[in-house]
Amino acid sequence: MQSNSWVPLFPEQASTFAWQVDYLYFYLILVSVAFSIPIVLAIFYFFVKYREKEKYATPDEIHGSIVLETTWSIIPFVVSMTIFLGGAVIYYNQYRMPAEAMEIYVVGKQWMWKFQHSTGQREINELHVPVGRKVKLTMTTEDVLHDLFIPAFRTKADVVPGRYTSLWFEATKPGKYHLYCAEYCGLNHSGMGGWVYVMPQDEFDNWLAGGGGSNQTPVEAGKELFMNKLGCASCHAAGSGQRGPNLTGVFGTDQKLTTGQSVRADEEYIRNSILNPTGQIVEGYQPIMPTFKGQVTEEQLVSLVAYIKSLSGNAGNTGSMTTPATTGSSSNSNIANTTVPTIPKADRGNTNSGLSSNPNAPSQTTEQTNRQR
Amino acid sequence: MQNVNAINSDFIEQEPKVNYLTNGFTLKSWLLTKDHKRIAIMYLITVSAFFMIGGLYAATIRLELLTPQSDLLETGTYNKVFTQHGVIMVFLFLIPVIPAILGNFLLPIMIGAKDLALPRINLLSLYVYWIGGALIMYALMQGGVDTGWTFYTPYSTTFSNTYVMAVGLGVFINGFSSILTGLNFIVTVHTMRAPGMTWFRLPLFVWANYATALVMILGTPVIAITILLLALERLGKVGIFDPAIGGDPILFQHLFWFYSHPAVYIMILPSMGVVSELISNFSRKKIFGYEFIAFSSIAIAVFGFLVWGHHMFVSGQSIYAGLVFSFLTMVVAIPSAIKMFNWAATLYKGSISYDTPMLYAIGFMGLFLIGGLTGLFLGSMGLTVHLTDTYFIVAHFHYVMVGGTVLGYMGGLHYWWSKMTGKMYSEFWGKISAMLVFVGFNLTFFPQFILGYQGMPRRYASYAEELQVLNIFSTAGASVLGLGLVMPLIYLTHSLIFGKKAPANPWMLPGLEWRIPSPPPTENFESTPIVTWEAYDFSEENGLDLDEARRRDLAATV
Amino acid sequence: MVNVNNMATHEHDDHYHPPGLQHQFEDMKQQEESVSLGMWAFLVQEIMFFGGLFTAYLVFRSRYPMAFAAGSNHLDAFWGGLNTLVLIVSSLTMALTVYYAQKGKRMAQVYLIIATMFFGAVFLGVKAIEYTDKYNHGLVPVAGLNKRTKATSHSETNAASAERPTTQTNLESQEKNSLPAPDTKQTKDQTAEHAYANPRGEFQWEGKNFKESSEIILEAQKKNYLTQYEKVGYFTNGELDQKKVRDKVLIFYWIYFVMTGLHALHMIIGLGLMTWLLWKAWRGSYSAEYYSPVEISGLYWHFVDIVWIFLFPLLYLLGRHFLHGGGH
Repeated sequence: MQSNSWVPLFPEQASTFAWQVDYLYFYLILVSVAFSIPIVLAIFYFFVKYREKEKYATPDEIHGSIVLETTWSIIPFVVSMTIFLGGAVIYYNQYRMPAEAMEIYVVGKQWMWKFQHSTGQREINELHVPVGRKVKLTMTTEDVLHDLFIPAFRTKADVVPGRYTSLWFEATKPGKYHLYCAEYCGLNHSGMGGWVYVMPQDEFDNWLAGGGGSNQTPVEAGKELFMNKLGCASCHAAGSGQRGPNLTGVFGTDQKLTTGQSVRADEEYIRNSILNPTGQIVEGYQPIMPTFKGQVTEEQLVSLVAYIKSLSGNAGNTGSMTTPATTGSSSNSNIANTTVPTIPKADRGNTNSGLSSNPNAPSQTTEQTNRQR
Repeated sequence: MQNVNAINSDFIEQEPKVNYLTNGFTLKSWLLTKDHKRIAIMYLITVSAFFMIGGLYAATIRLELLTPQSDLLETGTYNKVFTQHGVIMVFLFLIPVIPAILGNFLLPIMIGAKDLALPRINLLSLYVYWIGGALIMYALMQGGVDTGWTFYTPYSTTFSNTYVMAVGLGVFINGFSSILTGLNFIVTVHTMRAPGMTWFRLPLFVWANYATALVMILGTPVIAITILLLALERLGKVGIFDPAIGGDPILFQHLFWFYSHPAVYIMILPSMGVVSELISNFSRKKIFGYEFIAFSSIAIAVFGFLVWGHHMFVSGQSIYAGLVFSFLTMVVAIPSAIKMFNWAATLYKGSISYDTPMLYAIGFMGLFLIGGLTGLFLGSMGLTVHLTDTYFIVAHFHYVMVGGTVLGYMGGLHYWWSKMTGKMYSEFWGKISAMLVFVGFNLTFFPQFILGYQGMPRRYASYAEELQVLNIFSTAGASVLGLGLVMPLIYLTHSLIFGKKAPANPWMLPGLEWRIPSPPPTENFESTPIVTWEAYDFSEENGLDLDEARRRDLAATV
Repeated sequence: MVNVNNMATHEHDDHYHPPGLQHQFEDMKQQEESVSLGMWAFLVQEIMFFGGLFTAYLVFRSRYPMAFAAGSNHLDAFWGGLNTLVLIVSSLTMALTVYYAQKGKRMAQVYLIIATMFFGAVFLGVKAIEYTDKYNHGLVPVAGLNKRTKATSHSETNAASAERPTTQTNLESQEKNSLPAPDTKQTKDQTAEHAYANPRGEFQWEGKNFKESSEIILEAQKKNYLTQYEKVGYFTNGELDQKKVRDKVLIFYWIYFVMTGLHALHMIIGLGLMTWLLWKAWRGSYSAEYYSPVEISGLYWHFVDIVWIFLFPLLYLLGRHFLHGGGH
C-alpha cells in the first residue's frame, strides 16, 4: 500500500492504528459490496426483465410481505451493529491515552503548528518522532479551532481554544508523512500543515542531540524560571519557610485539599495551580499565592511542569543531551497576545461530558486572543 | 361510467379555457397571488437562479483544484467561494427545492384540495425566502463570507472580518420561510384531505413531505435562535459562545447540529417521496410495503433529531456520548435501507418504462445506495476519526445531497413538468441529460472518496502533488455533470414555447394530479373529488380508461 | 365498483356561503380546524425557538449558579411580579374576548380588546422602566449601550448625561478624548473616592453589586457547593477576581436581555395583532359562526404569557434564597 503508485489508493500505514482502521475500512467495503451487489443486480434484472411490453399494462398487485420486511430490517441492523462495535473499539483505543508515552506539546495558531519536545527542541510545522515509541500529543490553540491530522497514522483530534485535547500514536515505519490542519481556521487554512518525520530511535536521538532548535531542555528552562526568573523557589523550595508546599517528590502523589477532597498532582493540577493558585489549596496552606496567568507563556508553563515533574524523578524521556543554551526561539507572545488558554487537559473519555468537555474549561481562557477585526 | 370522464380522453379535448397560468397576466396577479401553483412557479424560478449561482461557485472550486497550487484564486477568495457555495446550496437551494416547488404545487392536488390550507402564509413564506435570499446575495456582493457554511465559533464570532452578520441574518430570516412552509403542509395534510382520502391512501410523496414538515417545524427554530445569538454576539462583541468570558464555543456546535443534522432529512426525505412515486408509477405497480415506506419516513424524521453528535466525534465530546450517537446513527440507517429494499421489490413483475423520470429514479437508487453506505463508514467512530473533515465527507454528502436530492428533484421536475406547464419536454434530450448527470456525477465524486481516504482535508485551496490525478478526474467529471445539468435548463425552457401540448394524463396514471387538466385550473378541481381507490391502483376499476388511451396514442402516431 | 370515481359532488355554490369562509375550504368547521391547528403548529415552533434559549440558560446556570443568583438579585422582583400579574389579568381579558366573540357581542369584545391592549402596554412600560434602570446602572451587557458616566459627583453625573447624545454619536473621538492621560487620571482619582464611573458605557459589576455577589460566592465556597466551573471561574489569587465574576454575571445579563427582549418583541407583535382584531371587532366581523381570528390571536397571546410565566421565576426568583438567609 505504497502511495507511490500512479493513483494512490491508500495512504501509507505508519502507525499501530493504521492497520486497524484499514481493516475496518476493508470490512465496510466488503459489507457495502455484499449489500450493493444483490440490490443492484436485482434492480437491473427487474429493470430489463420486466420492461414495458405493452403500453399501460396493469401488472398484478403485490401488497408486500411482513416476512421480507422483517428480514431486511433485522439483517442490516445486525450488520450495522458489527460496524458500530468495530468502530467503537478502535475509537476507544485511539482516545484513551496510554500510561507511559513520550509527551510532545502542541500549540496551534493561525496558521502554524508549534511543537515542543520534552527535551526542549521546538519545531514549527515539522514533527520528529521515533519509530516504535508511544507518543502523546497534548494540544491547545491560541485562537480558533484547529485539528491535527496525520493521515498515515489514521488519527486526528480537534484543538479547541480554552482547553487541552490530546491524541496518541505509535509510529511503525520510518518515513516522511503529511501533517494537516483539518478544521477550517481561516485565511491560510490550507497552508497550515507540514511533515511528520518518523526515524529509528538512534537517528532520533542524534537528531535530538544535534539538529533541531538547540535550546535548553524544558527541565533546565523550568529550573531557571523556578529558581530565578519567577522566584517560585522563595516559597516552594525546601526550607524556604514553608509558605508554600515543598514541591520535591510531589508530582504524581495524591494531595489532600482544604476542602477535604484529594487530588492527584498531575500536569493538569500543576498548571492549574500556577494559573489559578487558589482553586485547589493543599491542606495546611493559606491561599496566598498570586496568579501567574499572563506572566508565563504557554511554553514556559510546559517547562515549569517538566521541571516539577523532574523533582519527583520523572524527568520524562530526555536522552542524554548537551544543548548549547541559546534562545531566540519565539515564545508565543510575539505573535499573539501573551494570553494563552489555560485549561486543564481533558483526556477524552474521562473528564469530558455532555456539552463541553472539561468542567474547568471555559472560564479560564483569558482575554480573548488576537481579535482580528 | 359517465363519471370517469375526468381522465378519459374526451375530457382532454375540451380543456377549460382558463388555467392557473392564464388566469391573469399582470405582475400583480403573480406577486399577490394566493394560488399555491403560482407560488410554486415563482419558487421554481428563484430556486433555479440560486442553484445556478451555487453551481458557478462549484465550478470555480473544481477549477481551482485542478492544480495542487492555489493559483487560480487567492486562498482568501477560495475560502469565500466554498463558503458561499455551501450557504447558497444548503439554505437557498437544497432545503426549499422539493417542498417549496414540487410540494407546493402538488401536495394540495394530490390530496384533492383546492389549495393549501393557509394560502396567505404560503405567499408570506415566498416573500420571507426572497428577503433572506436577497440579504445573503447582498452580503456576497459586498465581499462575501468566509466562515464555512457551518459558521463555527469562535472563528465566526471573533476572527472573521467578512459579512458574517448579514449572511447570518439572511439564514435566520430564510429559516422562517421553511417553518411557514412546514406549518402549512402539516395543517393541509391534516384538514384538507378530500372525502375518502384516508391517511393510508395518501401518495408517498405526501407522507414524505409531511415528515419533512415535522422536521422543519421542530428543527428550524433552533438554528434560527442559534444564528441570531451568533449575529448578536458579533454585534455586541460579547456573548455566550465567547471562551474569553467563560462562554462555550462547543455549545454552538451542539445547537447548530441539532438543526443541521435533521436538515439533511429536510433535504432527502422529500426526494425519497418523489422516488417512491416514480418507481411505483413507472412500474405501473403498487408500491411494495406502502406502510413501511410511509412509517420509515416518520422514523427517519424522529431519529434524525437524536444523532447530531455524530458530527462532533473529534471535537472533544465525551467518549460515551460518542458511543450513543454512533449507535443511534446505525439505527437511523435502517429505515433508509428498508426504503431501498422496498423500491427494488416494487420493480419485481412490474411493467417498467424507461422514461426520463424513471432514469433519474434508478440513478437516485444507485447514488443514494453509495451515499447511504458511506454514511455507515462515517457513523463508525473509529473510521470517522480518520475520515472526518476530509474529502470522504465531501464525497459522502454530495452523494446524498446531489445524488439523492438533486436527482430526485430532477426526476420529479420532469415527471410533473407536463402538469405544471402543460407542455411535453423532449424525451430524447431528457434521457441524454439524465445519463450525463449520472456519469458526470460519479466521475466527479467517486474519486473524492479515495482522496478522502488518502487524507486530503476539505476546504483546502492547495493540496499535495500526488493527489492531482484524482482531482483532475473530479474536475473533468464536474464539467460533464455541469453539462448534464445545463441541458435541462435549455430543453425545458425550449419546451415552454415549442413543446407539444401535454395531455392531462400522458402516462395514464391513477394519482389525483393526473385526473385534472394540464395545466390545472386555478382551483384545481371543478368540484371536490371523492376518493374511493387505494394509492397506486393502476387497474381499470379505478377509472383509468386504458383502451381509450391506447387509441389516443395510436391516433397520435398515425 | 363501477361508479366509483365520480368526481362531481359537493357543489357548494348553491349552499349558503358563510361570512369569512375562504375559498379553499369546504365549510367553517374545516376552516376553523385548519387555522387553529396552524396556530398550534406555530406555537410548537415557538417553543423550539425559545427552547434554544432555555437550553443556553440551563447550561450556563448549572455552571455558574452563584453569578446567576447575584445577577438575578439585581433584577427587581417587584416589577417582575407586577408584570406577571398584569399578564395573567390580560390573559383573562383575552379569554373573555373570545367568549364574547363567540356570543357575537360587539362592544364587549371591543372593550375587552382595549383592556388586553392596555395590559400589554403596561407590561411593555414596566419592561422599559426595568431596561432604563439597567441602562443607568451599567448592566447592559454590550459595551457602549450603557449610560456614560464620566464624572463622579452628582452634579457632574448630570452634566455628563446631558452631553450623552454627542458622545454617543462620536464614539471614536469620545474614546480618543477619554483615553489620554490628563483627563483619565483625574477620573481615576475621583473613582477611588466615589463609587461609580463609566466613561465608555461598559457593563459594570463593581462596588455594592460586586460586594453582594462576593458574599454569596464566598459563603458558597465555605460550604463547598461551588461547581467545578465556579471553582476556577471566579477566583484569582485567593480572592474573588472582580473581572472574572463580572464576566459570569455578564453572561446572565446577556441571556436576560436576549430572552426578555425576544419576549417583548413577541408582546409587540401581539399588540399589533390586537390592533387589527380591534378594528375588525369594531366593524362587527365576528359572530358565533366566525370567530377563529379571535381564537387564534388568543392562543398566541396566552402563549406569550406562558413564556413569561417561565421567564419570571428563572430570571428573577431562582437563586434569591442564596441572598436571603436560605442556602443549603
